[in-house]
Amino acid sequence: MIAELRSIPSSDVVKAPQAVPLLSVDGLKAYYKVKLFGIDREVRAVDDVSLKINRNEIYGLAGESSSGKTSLIKTIAGAIRPPLRVVEGSVRFAFKDGERDVYKLSPHELSAIRWSHLSYIMQGSMSVLNPVRRIKHAFADFALPHVSAKGGDFTSLVERHLKRLHLDPAVLQAYPHELSGGMRQRVTIALATICSPEFIIADEPTTALDVIVQKGVLSMIREIQQEFGSSVLFVTHDMAVHANLTDRLGIMYAGRLVEEGRTRDVFKRPLHPYTAHLISSLPRIGDEAPKKGLEGSPPSLADPPPGCRFHPRCPLAIDICRREAPPMVEILPGHRTACHVAQADPARVRPVA
Amino acid sequence: MSTLRILRDLLRYNGEFAVGLMLVLIVLAVAGCSFFSPYPPMDVYVVPPDVPPSWEYPLGTTSRGQDVFWQLTFAIRNTLLFGIVVAALSRVISLLVGLISGYKGGWVDRILMSINDTFVVVPLFPILVLFYFIMRDEMTWAMLAIITALLGWAYDARLIRSIAMSLRTREFTRQAVFSGMSTGKIVFQEHLPFVLPIVFSTTMNNINWSIGIEVTLSVLGFTDINTPTIGGMIYWANQHTAMVSGIWWWITFPILLVIMLFIGLFLLAISMNEYIDPRSRLSRLGGQA
Repeated sequence: MIAELRSIPSSDVVKAPQAVPLLSVDGLKAYYKVKLFGIDREVRAVDDVSLKINRNEIYGLAGESSSGKTSLIKTIAGAIRPPLRVVEGSVRFAFKDGERDVYKLSPHELSAIRWSHLSYIMQGSMSVLNPVRRIKHAFADFALPHVSAKGGDFTSLVERHLKRLHLDPAVLQAYPHELSGGMRQRVTIALATICSPEFIIADEPTTALDVIVQKGVLSMIREIQQEFGSSVLFVTHDMAVHANLTDRLGIMYAGRLVEEGRTRDVFKRPLHPYTAHLISSLPRIGDEAPKKGLEGSPPSLADPPPGCRFHPRCPLAIDICRREAPPMVEILPGHRTACHVAQADPARVRPVA
Repeated sequence: MSTLRILRDLLRYNGEFAVGLMLVLIVLAVAGCSFFSPYPPMDVYVVPPDVPPSWEYPLGTTSRGQDVFWQLTFAIRNTLLFGIVVAALSRVISLLVGLISGYKGGWVDRILMSINDTFVVVPLFPILVLFYFIMRDEMTWAMLAIITALLGWAYDARLIRSIAMSLRTREFTRQAVFSGMSTGKIVFQEHLPFVLPIVFSTTMNNINWSIGIEVTLSVLGFTDINTPTIGGMIYWANQHTAMVSGIWWWITFPILLVIMLFIGLFLLAISMNEYIDPRSRLSRLGGQA
């Protein structure tokens, strides 16, 4: 795995609490609603998610496929297209030049904060570049409207930015198919970060890359984050990447945030039974015991179980879990979880052997 | 530079392209000769009538006292121009409709496609004849070109729409939307380059189709018969019962020339397909699809 990328801050180094976090998501509900030709379906991809991301922080979001990770960041970025709809809640950014509520902005204002303040490295970044346009045209098409520099100034800005990210400016003349997968991924990240955005959303930027290239891409994101002092919302299902890169970690299960805390705390002392199983499933050096899988599979988001969504698979489930959805409660400093059992007695949730 | 190399390779490895290009060049050369014609195209009885092909009159003369060769140069020029104008106009319409309808989807798509499908099912020929009977003298060459173009875009608009629909769901389109690009910019900067090769190939077929329409209408006299075209020449030959009175050269040479043009354009279209479709290039390299 990716080792020695950087040291993880130890739990006792508590960062000074910030007055206003850069991003505050409050009670966000985003559903896929289809009501057409007799089909009436509601998929609750994001259900009552609240989280805060501070300045200068890498926040990791983990969860299995179809747990609502991509839907959540789409709604955060305001890139919502039907059938996805925001039902409730708010997403507020506190940028350096003022606060913005994403759902109260006009399309024009939303477009103005993109790239310059908020950028989005999309999933499947391999196809983010138009295969029939040269890379320099991709920069001109996507980034030029958001930059004040024009013409030659813009070109030199792009070249400076590429050099800063250790990319050869010659790639500007290339077509996407002439670059390797890792190069394309780096160009995509360069494209998204050209305006030194304050907030970067990265949706699985290392998926489908081998670990060597992954390491390069991750250290690139880390470098950008440190140089610009930006915050990064990093989404991946790869727990090893989270362990190496992120400051704080949120775990999603079936459309809900179930646990959140400093990455090291979550790995060391999971407070939600789902996280406990997730972490025990990771391979460890020297551990030769066969891994036991968790019975069942994630629920359909179109018809989620009542109460806690994890209760049908949870070995610790008690009566109340079947009736009431647990709220997110801070149990240890900076460490929240949505579990009735852990809230009654945190010691009952322990890493599974 | 690279365009020249593509042309060279096509000539070297693609027999259809070489033959098609040669045929089209011959036709173009004949059309180009019209600028050096000693006689104005509309004048009659400038040469002795009904002379069979000879050294002096290589393709003979007509019963109206016109030299068949020089008459043919004007006729093929007008006919070719007609095809090109119709193809260009109808390409513009089919690109606009196809790209916007495929990208926008929803009610825009439904409205545009219902118009499109109307044009697909409408019987073209009776409509053109109807237009002629309504407009009569106002049915000029340019008017016919516009009407034919308005009737000839629907099939290709559907083809382009299908490509645009697939492009709409790709990541770079989402990235473009996220960056705040307008519909027009997305469609014409990001999507147009994808469909251009296909448009290029369908253009050849559209030229063929419109020339076919023009020739058919003129042979029957449903066009402005005073503008010399291939169909117009055949019309006049029929009017003077050229076949019955043995003036075969009046009718044979226009038909031969227009067939050369048809075959030439058709071969160019299919060889373009080979250049555009990478899989057929692979099979030429010995690879399997």
